[in-house]
Amino acid sequence: MNQKELLKGNIAIAKAAVKCGCSCYFGYPITPQSEIGEYLSAAMQERELGYVCAESEIGAINMAIGASSTGAKVLVSSSSCAISLMQEALSYAASDELPIVLVNVMRAGPGQGYIYPSQGDYNQTTVGGGNGDYKIISLAPSNVQECIEMTYKCFYLSQKYRNPVILLLDGLLGQMAESVELAENTYPEIDNSSWVLSGAHNRPSREIHSLEPNQDKLNRHILDLNNKYKKIEEEVTDWEEYMCEDAEYIITAFGSLSRHGKAVCKYFREKGLKFGLFRPKTLYPFPYKRLNELSKNLKGIIDIEMNLGQMLKDIRLAVLSNTKISFVGKPVGDWLKRDELIYAIENVIKEDYASIH
Amino acid sequence: MQVYTKPKSIKENSSFTFCSGCDHGLVIKLVAEVIDELNLQENTIAVASSGCSVFLYDFLDVDCIESPHGRACAVATGIKRATKANKNEKFVFTYQGDGDFASIGLGESLHSALRGENITVICINNTNYGMTGGQLGPTTAMGQITTTSPTGRNRAYHGFPIKAAEHIALCDGTAYSARVGVYNIKNIINAKNAIKKAFECQIKGLGYSFVEVLSSCPTNWRLSPSDSHRKIETELTQIYPIKVFKDITND
Amino acid sequence: MIRNFIFSGSGGQGVLSVGIALANIYMLDDKFVSYCSSYGAEMRGGAVSCEVNVSDEELLCIQNDKADYVVAFNQKSLDKFISKVKENGTIIVNSSLAKIEKTRKDIKYIFAPLTSDAMKLGNIKFANSIALGILMKLCSNLSIDMVNCAFEKLLKNKKDLIQKNIDAFLFGYNYAI
Repeated sequence: MNQKELLKGNIAIAKAAVKCGCSCYFGYPITPQSEIGEYLSAAMQERELGYVCAESEIGAINMAIGASSTGAKVLVSSSSCAISLMQEALSYAASDELPIVLVNVMRAGPGQGYIYPSQGDYNQTTVGGGNGDYKIISLAPSNVQECIEMTYKCFYLSQKYRNPVILLLDGLLGQMAESVELAENTYPEIDNSSWVLSGAHNRPSREIHSLEPNQDKLNRHILDLNNKYKKIEEEVTDWEEYMCEDAEYIITAFGSLSRHGKAVCKYFREKGLKFGLFRPKTLYPFPYKRLNELSKNLKGIIDIEMNLGQMLKDIRLAVLSNTKISFVGKPVGDWLKRDELIYAIENVIKEDYASIH
Repeated sequence: MQVYTKPKSIKENSSFTFCSGCDHGLVIKLVAEVIDELNLQENTIAVASSGCSVFLYDFLDVDCIESPHGRACAVATGIKRATKANKNEKFVFTYQGDGDFASIGLGESLHSALRGENITVICINNTNYGMTGGQLGPTTAMGQITTTSPTGRNRAYHGFPIKAAEHIALCDGTAYSARVGVYNIKNIINAKNAIKKAFECQIKGLGYSFVEVLSSCPTNWRLSPSDSHRKIETELTQIYPIKVFKDITND
Repeated sequence: MIRNFIFSGSGGQGVLSVGIALANIYMLDDKFVSYCSSYGAEMRGGAVSCEVNVSDEELLCIQNDKADYVVAFNQKSLDKFISKVKENGTIIVNSSLAKIEKTRKDIKYIFAPLTSDAMKLGNIKFANSIALGILMKLCSNLSIDMVNCAFEKLLKNKKDLIQKNIDAFLFGYNYAI
């Protein structure tokens, strides 16, 4: 039987990684995610597994490339401005089709910003900062229990689709402790024997490279990748609907802020207004299709984010002209509280009524 | 009668595509011979990096990964640590140019030496960025003319070149650091011995091993292959002495 | 039932430990709990605070404007967090290190000389356990067994401290409020 534990998001992720067979961790300290590396420095050493406190985040993510090429399950964790440093390697890893799990515990930017929680890396995660046509799968947990479940899922998806996966959470969730169960990882193991580097023993030698001077071959490689992304979009897209069945207004939010969104829905339901919440659990692939369906009979969508409207672009792409979209957000610091959100959304609704009458 | 054959670790039906007179092909052949002699072919993972060195995997018949520019030592670290963690430790070496190793990747290079990563690095020093057309690099000699130092490398604009083998020898994690040349038969034999020694250091688990190879770049130097080798022998070895700077197997 | 707590003070006063202890006690009572502390560079300079939220159902509000209960371990944190107490909420003030002064009429004040009482009990570090005792008395309906369990869980490597902390806790619990 599983026992409940009080775990910080960061520690929960580290423990979950060990549970699902992660054999290498590479990282460089940065607040607010340092506990992941701290926990794993001991856990990996105890198990005689791979751990390097790298010279930089660039070093760390490239060590992950090396480890991943041998078939090892690899975890790298960092935060915002340091994830920026890794964009080159992510582009390589996507082209090389290497499974790497990267945790980004967001702090506020741009630049150095500060360690206050924020959701300012939605664009960096979903659009990416590396070069070329590539995609990184990304999952966004809303509570510590989900940090555990999604860590398992990240390892599974990265192995299954041979692609880097980002677990994107805010500093608040990384630092917050909740009562959770560290359940077993039940995802199946993926056979990687057909591609990993293990020494050319009883088989021809293998090469993993993104460089391709042959134009036709390069073209085909990029198209193959794109076909894989289409498959990922069909198979991996995931979201949560909360009181959406009969909703007239839907709040859209991702990550831990969505919980405040749910509290707001409850408040408005008590007032007789039919509110629901739609939360993408995968940011890439984004649930465009489902949100489009839901948006057809709505009076409005209110997107809430702890940034200045980064997911808003995807909401617009999903909703098109089906309904009116409003935005409530702020870039950094204390989360938009329930009452602040209620106040802001009441104003939005008032405008709606004004435009009707 | 001795019949000269292609090393087993050179891919069948491959022929070097480097410029005529370039030493890359020769050094890759020496590496292949050592791999054969130490029976490492089936147990090796090589790391190529950006620049002319990246084509390693076109010729060398071992498992190989290309790293982002400069990050070969980090990628090699990951491979070594992961295969060790999964109880299937591999022989791991990087094959890099001087720009890759000592400029863009100096952080990764130096720190892997400081950590004493049990990997081997073969670094081709041809005193310029060859693949991009011969610009000034970290090893370009004072006074040397390149496309970005049209009046010769000078202190005011470019500062000084790096002596990689000497620097690496200073790291406590380094087991072996040597500079070799391949500009004449005697040196070629010595170079091969140095590569072998470096590989053996890794096999024995002694730590980081490093061989810097002074190499020609006739195309960008605007010299004939033989004049290029003469330049190495008469000029470059004065700045970059052929020497073993550290060898803990001698201690 | 939803309850929000804030603990505040300076480094070394056990502000975070008492928050964790409270969260564990409620966790053992099968409640949903969240615990969040100030972290990283925020903590440099000595000010420390944490927020604990407890609920019968999934916790939606993980950061709140106001708390039902605030514990202020010194004057600075009293000044900073007095406005965070909900109307009709309670603040426990460590009167050893803060002025006995009621600046708000709409909340309940409990002044307790936590630091000097802790010293009387043998260690200045017991101040937080005394505060926890007072708090538990106020929130009632939690069994002392749960508290024992939580201390045993949290102090498993320091067995000698378990009983001493429980004593301090009971000292607080039996305060005449």
